[in-house]
Amino acid sequence: MKKPHPHIDRIFKAIADPTRRSIFHALVIAGSAMPINEVAERFEMSRQGVTKHIKILEAAKLIQIHQRGRERFCMASAQPLKSISQWLQFYEQFWDQSLDRLGQHLDGVD
Amino acid sequence: MKDVLTKEKVFNHGIDKVWRAISRGEEISKWFIQADFKPEVGYEYTFTATEEHGGTKISGTVLEATPYNLKYTWRVGDTPVETIVSWHLEDEGGQTKLTLEHSGISKFGEETAIEMFEHFNQGWDACFTTLKSYVNNEETAPAH
Repeated sequence: MKKPHPHIDRIFKAIADPTRRSIFHALVIAGSAMPINEVAERFEMSRQGVTKHIKILEAAKLIQIHQRGRERFCMASAQPLKSISQWLQFYEQFWDQSLDRLGQHLDGVD
Repeated sequence: MKDVLTKEKVFNHGIDKVWRAISRGEEISKWFIQADFKPEVGYEYTFTATEEHGGTKISGTVLEATPYNLKYTWRVGDTPVETIVSWHLEDEGGQTKLTLEHSGISKFGEETAIEMFEHFNQGWDACFTTLKSYVNNEETAPAH
């Protein structure tokens, strides 16, 4: 089997773990940057433990980390969702063109 | 994010002619894509794009095929994403109004990030065997 693209590797590694999925969900739902300490509290984990998960999510570009003063904030990244809207745009065009071709086909056959 | 992509188009042709064009394999192959398709519920169809479009295969199961409703699942290549395409025809005084719906898109919408992960999980099961080894090397258990 062909080895997947390294970035896909990282995404799959990131989401293969249920805790990391929960962290990402919490950040998506929060809709804003959350201090790492708060994430740790919410998941009843050590700061060290949560940092490890967050680094793996960051490597997959599923979250972004910003330093503000002494606190580090993490935020879910919309990038995976953007690819979905591109998918929608692709099919908009795909079906328009296909139905045009259907029209031409019908006009040509009797 | 919306769940359904809808297209409407009126054709200046009778409803049965349009129905044949969308539901018979040999006709679908003429205007749409090379098709192994039968309008029978449960039929596992395959569409194959031309080489210039990468030879991509689209496959799925026919869910409904009663004039004038046609519905099938739609899976591109070996991706784990399954969406649903449905066609509905209405007679409008000799013309035919076609309504096409492609649904399931919002499975990946922002409000259902959970389902997005479900999708990734299925993908995990389906094809990324090369990843298993290094996930197993972690101290945390894999998703399943």
